[in-house]
Amino acid sequence: MTRITRFRAGVLAAAVGAALSAAPAWAGTYDLTVDRVRIDTGAFTRTGIGYNGASPGPVLRFREGEDVTINVTNNLDQWTSVHWHGLILPYQQDGVPGVSFEGIAPGQTFTYRFPIVQAGTYWFHSHSGFQEADGAYGAIVIEPATREPFRYDRDYVVQLTDAHPHPGSRIMRNLKMMPDYYNRQQRTLFDFLGDAADEGLGAALSDRADWGGMRMMPTDVEDVQGFTPLMNGKGPEGNWTALFEPGERVRLRFINSSAMAYFDIRIPGLKMTVVQADGQNVQPVTVDELRIAVAETYDVIVRPTEDRAYSILAESVGRTAMARGTLAPREGMEAEVPALREPPRLTMADMGMAHGGMDHGSMGHGATAGDSHVMPDGTMMQGMDHGAAGDAAAGTHVMPNGSVMAGAAHAGMGSDSGTHTMPDGSVMEGMAHGGHRAAPADRFYAPGSGLTPVVADGGRFLSYADLKAQKPLYPERAPTREIELRLTGNMERYIWSFDGVKHEDAEPIRLQYGERVRFTFVNETMMTHPMHLHGMWSILDTGNGAWNPAKHVVSVPPGTTVAMEVEVDAPGRWVFHCHLAYHMEAGMMREVIVEGGPEGTAVDLGAGHGHGHARGAGG
Amino acid sequence: MPFTTTLRGCVAATLMILAAPVIAHAAGAHDGGHGGIHGQPATASAASRTVEVIMHDNYYEPEAISVRAGETIRFKVRNAGALVHEFNIGTAQMHAEHMPEMQMMVDHGVLKADRFDREAAKAMSKAMGHSMDHDYANSALIEPGKSAELIWTFPKNTEVRLDFGCTVPGHYESGMVGSFEFDAGS
Repeated sequence: MTRITRFRAGVLAAAVGAALSAAPAWAGTYDLTVDRVRIDTGAFTRTGIGYNGASPGPVLRFREGEDVTINVTNNLDQWTSVHWHGLILPYQQDGVPGVSFEGIAPGQTFTYRFPIVQAGTYWFHSHSGFQEADGAYGAIVIEPATREPFRYDRDYVVQLTDAHPHPGSRIMRNLKMMPDYYNRQQRTLFDFLGDAADEGLGAALSDRADWGGMRMMPTDVEDVQGFTPLMNGKGPEGNWTALFEPGERVRLRFINSSAMAYFDIRIPGLKMTVVQADGQNVQPVTVDELRIAVAETYDVIVRPTEDRAYSILAESVGRTAMARGTLAPREGMEAEVPALREPPRLTMADMGMAHGGMDHGSMGHGATAGDSHVMPDGTMMQGMDHGAAGDAAAGTHVMPNGSVMAGAAHAGMGSDSGTHTMPDGSVMEGMAHGGHRAAPADRFYAPGSGLTPVVADGGRFLSYADLKAQKPLYPERAPTREIELRLTGNMERYIWSFDGVKHEDAEPIRLQYGERVRFTFVNETMMTHPMHLHGMWSILDTGNGAWNPAKHVVSVPPGTTVAMEVEVDAPGRWVFHCHLAYHMEAGMMREVIVEGGPEGTAVDLGAGHGHGHARGAGG
Repeated sequence: MPFTTTLRGCVAATLMILAAPVIAHAAGAHDGGHGGIHGQPATASAASRTVEVIMHDNYYEPEAISVRAGETIRFKVRNAGALVHEFNIGTAQMHAEHMPEMQMMVDHGVLKADRFDREAAKAMSKAMGHSMDHDYANSALIEPGKSAELIWTFPKNTEVRLDFGCTVPGHYESGMVGSFEFDAGS
């Protein structure tokens, strides 16, 4: 449907709706069944769980302002649930067993009813056991009530997942038993000898000892490898294809429904203009590549002008697998599929928090334009990519914020790559900034991090710093309270937690209706965690003040501190957790109770509290 | 402020005219490159009619404007959105060539989401050695709530595809562009 036709249809529907003013304008009823299904990735088959007989489940299409009724029939022999990820709704409709409701018993039909108060791209999945990882996920597309701030001629849902030959329950058992069970990139003797050649024997030994002492492997970027990435249910060979006519604007609704895998998305030959993040309109920003965390969504506009095929690539951040689809003018076409890139290696920078902070002032500073570097006071300065800044010792140059910086300040920083002695007595080399590749700085990654995104084919990589609300959801105000949460874990025992306390041993986080709470996540682990709060928006502090975007997933890389703020306006019982499936199950979750509320809406929460995620039998 | 005649090929080093609500007046360095293939600026007295264009976030109203070959139109452009937008007459190629400069203005904090930072523009002009003023005869960069006028004579050659677009980073790609349709009769 063209935009104009859609707009006219919307106007007509609105007029009809207004005429029937006694009833809501739209009130649709939708039926979902939860079934055992066969999952065929092209690389392997196994049984899993799906909706309406398939995995992924259907794309549910709602309209902003609609009152939806969704009947979910459980055809499994175990309890199930459906959580509407990113949707604002009454807490009893949120679908978390033991928190929102009891769950859906085998054979039972549970009816969800709630109003749709937002528009954009979202998704749904089971919140019971490992059913989501086993295939129980689908997409939600909500048409807006008013015109969107961007135009397109056609749109496609592009839903990604990391399908694994092992069912989720088995993966969990294996991880608990041996945390590196699925980490195929374990470093070998040959890797060590290679390091010794590169860095010198002393440095390589020291490096190895440090990593060993922390009981982590430098390759722990992905703790579950061996998956086949799917795009809309098809493996790379399946080549899911989206058709276009040259010159059209195409909207791609990327959803990462993986259990554990992050993907770097690019379409060689096409730039992507990001217009939504987590369903919320952002000021459009054109990039060549973007990283999508588990559970995030990004809507982009592309405009292919040539009569040829383009590959849609989603390369896992650990570089072990790549999902592949095609944008083409006709069926049956494909474009070049490049090889996987070299796996990133975590660096000591990613361990920053675990060492109680490092002496940034003694770090080396290369003169390369474009590098980030850490100022003596610990703040990080973005690299400049215009030539004038290169020779910092010379003149002045203008900082991004308009102030003018004297050139001499750079010279005074010192250029020796200072070493420092670690608490255990081993010596760590300083960060030789001049030496490592000049990856454009992304201040959401620790300086010198091995995970800092680098564009595959040149151009620009999206950063959280680029995300600004198109129209802020809430007025800006100072937070009324601050809560710091340390992201903690013990990789050897595969325990993940907040502040060292697992979900089952923790008290709920209690918030008061009307607060604005600033959550600061301090990541003391080696992994990147996508933090997801149910029921309320997470206003991510991207440094853009009033334009900070509202999201529902905030990804926190290792060794970093990331903050988001919540306008506490949804009474009831919610949860908050790392969306990596096996981390959540291992304890990285909390119940969140919102007390109080406007007259008539405050929830009677009764005495005591539930223990959160009551898993169905069988898990 | 009157529209001055073109200074093609010269780098204008003038400062911003701070009092005016609109940022585009005198022609600047970028206007001349295509030798009038997209038309040329004109004075109000030559205009045969006035067309109102409203900027929203992120689109124009209307999205298509009929014109006759050689016609002179006075455009009254108003920004009814919450973000800064541009009304830029040219070919798609010209818009693409203009985009890197707009991106640089964003990177240097000159072009903010909802305003044009004149202090930052002055500082950037000093550092860059030439004016970062956005003053081109074929273009108006307008802050929210403000208006501007742009008087344009369309070329006699009706084969050139002209549109009006906003090259604030991301806007054009999102669809903030409208087309000039040459009347069949011209």
